[in-house]
Order: sequence, then structure tokens, then C-alpha cells
Amino acid sequence: MRYLLRRLMLLPVPLIFVIGFVFVVLRLTGDPVAIYLGLDATPEQEAVLRADLHLDEPVPVQFGYFLLDLVRGDFGTSIQFKRRAMEVVRERLGSTLQLLALGLLVAVVLGVLGGVASAVWKDRVPDFVISVLAVAGQSMPSFWLGILLIQLFALELQWLPTSGKGGWEHMVLPVITLATFLVPNFILVMRVSVLEVAREQFVVTARARGAGPARALWLHILPNAINPVVSLIGLQLGRLMGGAVVTESIFAWPGVGRLMVSAIFQRDVPIVVAAVFIVALTIVLANLVVDLVQAAIDPRIRLR
Amino acid sequence: MLGVMRTVFAAALAVGVGASSAHARQDKDTLVVGASLFTDSIAPTGGAYITLSLCYQTWEPLVARDDEDKLVPALAERWEALSPTHWRFHLRKGVKWHDGTPFTAADVKFTIDYVIDPKQVYARKTRIAGVVSTEIVDEMTVDIKTSTPAPLLLRGLADIPIESKAHTEKVGQVEAHKKPMGTGPWKYVEWVAGDHYDLAANENYWGGAPVMKKLRIRAIPEGATRVASLVAGETDIVEEIPVDLLPSVERRKNLKIDAVESSVSLVHTFDTRKPPFNDVRVRRAIDYAIDKQALVKQMLGGYGSVLDGQLVTKGTFGYNPNIKSRPYDPTTAKAMLAEAGFPKGFENKINTLSGRYLSDVDIANAVAGMMSQVGVKTSVNVVEGGVWSQLDRSRDQGPMYQVGWFSVGDADFNTVWYTEASKRNYWTNAEFDKLWQEARSTMDEAARLRAYNRMMEIMHDEVPSIFLAGLPRISGRSDRVTGWMPSRDSLLRLHKVSVK
Repeated sequence: MRYLLRRLMLLPVPLIFVIGFVFVVLRLTGDPVAIYLGLDATPEQEAVLRADLHLDEPVPVQFGYFLLDLVRGDFGTSIQFKRRAMEVVRERLGSTLQLLALGLLVAVVLGVLGGVASAVWKDRVPDFVISVLAVAGQSMPSFWLGILLIQLFALELQWLPTSGKGGWEHMVLPVITLATFLVPNFILVMRVSVLEVAREQFVVTARARGAGPARALWLHILPNAINPVVSLIGLQLGRLMGGAVVTESIFAWPGVGRLMVSAIFQRDVPIVVAAVFIVALTIVLANLVVDLVQAAIDPRIRLR
Repeated sequence: MLGVMRTVFAAALAVGVGASSAHARQDKDTLVVGASLFTDSIAPTGGAYITLSLCYQTWEPLVARDDEDKLVPALAERWEALSPTHWRFHLRKGVKWHDGTPFTAADVKFTIDYVIDPKQVYARKTRIAGVVSTEIVDEMTVDIKTSTPAPLLLRGLADIPIESKAHTEKVGQVEAHKKPMGTGPWKYVEWVAGDHYDLAANENYWGGAPVMKKLRIRAIPEGATRVASLVAGETDIVEEIPVDLLPSVERRKNLKIDAVESSVSLVHTFDTRKPPFNDVRVRRAIDYAIDKQALVKQMLGGYGSVLDGQLVTKGTFGYNPNIKSRPYDPTTAKAMLAEAGFPKGFENKINTLSGRYLSDVDIANAVAGMMSQVGVKTSVNVVEGGVWSQLDRSRDQGPMYQVGWFSVGDADFNTVWYTEASKRNYWTNAEFDKLWQEARSTMDEAARLRAYNRMMEIMHDEVPSIFLAGLPRISGRSDRVTGWMPSRDSLLRLHKVSVK
């Protein structure tokens, strides 16, 4: 319980840091008013919008206003869309979370199974095949894989749609693309972890007491070998989000990633901050869950 | 990175795949368009042309542009200038809003009044700058007064959708801008952020009911995916086909490519305030060093055309038929550079955006290569959009930068960038500035044309920029689609399009 409390108290620290960083960098590298109004705007028109957005103050003062609004839960109004930033982000959030959750699930399941198989048949054909596939998957850029998948499944075989959102069939290709990006890491970590645990005294003892290879694997090795994979999930979430940006663009998936990129180009700070906040919050919370799960699996963590 | 991806895709497409798809639309009544750009708001206050394109499915202006950038009557049936600062618009009779109420002069006054309200943020308000008042003469007649003679008022009004006064007052502006209720050919059905915009035919449209019952505009930002959706039959029309994918589309019998020259002129502008480009001989030399025909052929797939040694494209008001582009002649270029004191050339840099204009980075690279051929060792610097706009305002783009200037049919809109009035110019010329002012403040069309023709001459002589090409708009469609042409101004006009 104290462990949970301590973790919860630390939660806002990375969030504030991330938001502050995003805000300052975006404000310093571009002027949203100029971008929004375009080249032929008159100075008067710019002044109106600038005052409207509190952009006529120095950057630190702006940041102060901004934080005050944030404390009240107000992320401000999108510069491009004249709508509440959080509302715009919320419309897109579900699509991205759907994609991320499924992609992660597929990656973890395949990664664990692949890693175990690879370890069990170490240095034999399955291990070799899985390792080659893992390396191939890791070295294949998402955008390339995405296009190849569209080519094969949407154009050649005509089993699945090329892009857009709709029924389950629209999810298949984006999820495969995203999962392929992650699976190799899980396989490699799981493989090493299983091999390591298999050498531990307690496994040897279990085998000596008569546990068969299957029993040793499922009852003794796996529960102890899974922990690095769980912590890897936390670490991979950031990368996953990066992968989602590319995947969403290729498959015209209406997610937050695409929204965030276009908002960055427009210096639409409220949208970027709202999106980054949600993404960062998701990652921070997911990491918290990961830690708690680990603590549940491994009592040693709770004692520290 | 994108280049690699497209090459892979083009190669894959070239292998050839079956025609129709299992996942083609089931619904025969729907026209599906794959748009390259999309927005998260369909409010008419927004600035981007894609916003206007979406707005004009439901709303309409008083005076509209057609696909050729010509002005045509829309909600105003006809108009006349009572004096150089006083226009009278006779509104189209019998036009109904989608909710069945009649369209009247009150709606026009309401819209123009809020657009010109200084406290209202409306990105395109400069299009009708100078409008001081709007008066209702009678139910079907409106007078618009301007502070100075405004020859560009009609063109400006083409960018202002007229909104319903009663409806906006009833539901509020925020709601009215979320669910458009206009007089246009299509009625709002549903808009899904980042994915699609669904519309239904307005059976009572004054211009004739749309041929198709329903319209879906889909957001497909990635070019290769857009083309794939067309090949798979998920879309009937797609905007903006990447040049490197053109051959693979051309090869397919059931797909057609339509191209039109836009009014966007792609140019490379010099910083004429500093050496070496402060010397007009150097600028002319560079003009001779660039093989513009080759650029159009290689980088634009043969669509679009070389600019005739002037800023505006052929279809634009102000085009001067007597000016021809300088020929490609690297020998002359080298000789002129030597004469200007640069026999060994010099180091140079071109700033460009990536993905803003068709093949922009590729073209910049090709130009850099051609310049290096005559001894001017040139590198290309790709600049991110936000940083770009800062460099633009501080006039800090460096010795050379690539930009596309829009004219939407009238030379005033793009010649402004070479005047002191723009505060973005590097080159300056007193006669040019004077002519520009004169042309925008007289109602005499012949005098305006003369002024622009002279301005083109000055620019051709002084070479503030290399005038490369009028960029094409290249769209693709299934051969079942008829009645479609991409427009010069990039707005989607779809009510006459049919899909068999």
C-alpha cells in the first residue's frame, strides 16, 4: 500500500516535465498565428488572434497562464479548429487506444510463445527460424511492411480493405504492422529469460524431484521468466506510440498520432499538449500497472 | 523514406493485380472520394483550402469560381458596379436552405458583417479587405460598399461561404459550424474526425440535384495508400497522385488520370540584397542553367508546364503572351557567371519545404544538381513548416528558396509577394510596386491587364526568382466515373459526377 502511494505521488512529475518541454519547444520554433492565418494576413488581424490566444505576452507568462488553465482541467482551444483541444483529442483517442491495445496484446502473446519455443528448442531448427524471423521483423520499417501488407492482402488476395476505419477487418493490417514492430523484442527477451531461469537451482531441484520437462516449464520456469517481459511492456509503450504514428498514416487510421503530427506542424500547442498529456498519462499509468503486476508476481519488489 | 516506400509500391503495382475487389463499396449510390488533406473542423472560419473545399459541399458563395478559375454566378445571379466603391448584387430567386427556409439578403448581410467584424477571427477575411458595409436594398438585392475601388472584390467573395442568419441565431455559431446547413448541392450527414465526411444529395439544389445520392469524402493522407484504395475499388476518385506512382496507374486499363494546371507557380526566389545574387547577371546566368523542360518531364510526370519566363500561369489574368522562358543553355550560363566575376562559381543553398508542393524536394534537388553543373555548388536544405514561416517573416530564407505562389486566377494575388506591401520580399522595384497599387485600385480591366503585363516584363528582366513551372493537379479515377475534372483551385466540385 505504501508502495502504491509513493508511486502515485510521483505520478505528476514526469507529466509536468513533458508538458513544459513540449510547450516551450513548440512556442520557440514557430508562430501559430502566422501559420494559421497564412501569408496574406494583415497585422491587425494577427493582433486580434494573438490577443485572443494570449500570445502577446512573453513565453514564461504564457506558460503560467497555461499551467493555471491546466490545473482547472482546461487544455485551451485549438488554434486551427476553434474547438476545445481535449474534445478534438478525445474524438481520436479511442481509435488509437484500440490499435495500441490490440497491437500490444498480439505482440506479447506471439512474443512469449515465440520466446518459449525458441528457448525450448535452443540451437535447433525452430530456434533458428524464429530468430531469423525476429531479426527480419525488427529490421523491417513499419511503413514498408504496411505497404507490402496492403499490396498482398488488399490488392492481390482482396481479403481485407486497404485503409480507413470500419469493422474488424479494417484492424487486421494495422495491428499486424504494429505488432511486428514489437514482437522481436519480446521474443528475444523471453528466450534469454527462459534460458536463464532454466539454469537456476530451483528448476534443477524440481527436475531432480521428478517434475517432467513440461511441468518444469509451465510451473517453475515461466512464472519466474515472465517478469522481464512485463517490464518490457512498460518500456515499449513509448516506442509503440511512435509506431502508431506511422501506422496511422499508412492505413489512414483516424488516431491521435496523426492528429498530433499535423498539430505539431501547425504549432497548434493546445492540441499537441492535450494529446501528449493523454499519451504520457497512459504510458505513466501503464507503467504503474506494470510495476504493480511485477510486485504481485515477484514479492522481492514489494520488499525493496 | 517516402521515396523508398513509393518505389516499393510502384514496383508491386507494376506486377499487376486483379481488377475489382471484394471490398469495393457495396453501396452503388455513393460517390467515394479519397482526399489527400483533411481537417478536424469544417468551420468556414478556418484558413486552409481543404477546409474551404469541405465547406463548399454544403455552403455556397455569392460569386463562385469554376474548375477553370473563371467567375460564375452562384447565390448572386448577377451584379453590377454602381460606382467603383459600390457594388449591387441581385440574389438568385427561389433558393432554399437545407432546412426549407428561403435564402434572402438578410443572410448575405449577416455573413459579410460577421466576417469583416474586427473582433472575429476569420482566416480568409483579407480576401474581402476594404469592404466597409453591406446594405439590404430589398429581400433579393444587396449592396456592398468598399473604402477604395475594389476590382478584386468578386474574386474575394468567391472564398466566403454565405451562412444562414436564422439558423445560426437559433443554434449558435459553434453548433452551426459543426453541422453545416447551407444552400449547396450536398447536405450534412456525418463527419468523423480524421476519417470521413458523409453527405447526402440536396434534391432541391437550384443548380440541379447531384447525380449521386450520397457522397463520402475519405481522409487518406498517404499517397501510396490513396492509390491502393483506388485500385481496390474502395474509392472512385483520389486526389493528388504522387508522380512516381503515375506509371503504375497509367498502366491499368480501368483507371484514368486527369490532370489540370493549377494556378500555383513554383519558383526559386533569390535574396537579391546580398552577393552573389544582388548582381542581375548572376541571376540571369542561373536562369540559363536550369533545364525547366526536363524538370517538368522528370519531376512532374510531364503534367503541368514550364512558366513562360514570368510569375503567372497561362490561364491567369495578367499573363503576358510576349514573354518566353530563357532557354536551357549551360554554356551561356557559365560565360555570364565568369563575366560577373564568378568563373569558378560559388557555394549556394536552397531552402525548401517537404511535401507542401508536388515533388518539391525532388525538384529542389534537381535544380541544385543543374546549378552545380555550371559551377555553383548547391545543397538543399529541407525546412520544417513552423520554422519556415519564421524564416519567411524575418526574410531570412538564405540565398535561394523554393516556394509556390497561388494566384487563384488573378495576378494580384501572387505578384504581391514581390512588393514592399508584402513585407516578405527580397527584391524590390519602385515601378513594380506602383503598378501593383494601380492595378488593384482601378476598375478598368484593360488598364489592369496592361499593368500586370508590364510587371511580368520587369520581373522577366530582373529575375527576382527563377520561374520554374505551373504545378499540375493530378487526380485518379475509376473509368466508371464520369463528369469529374480536378479543379485549378483544388476545391472539390462533385455534384455532376456520376459512377456507373
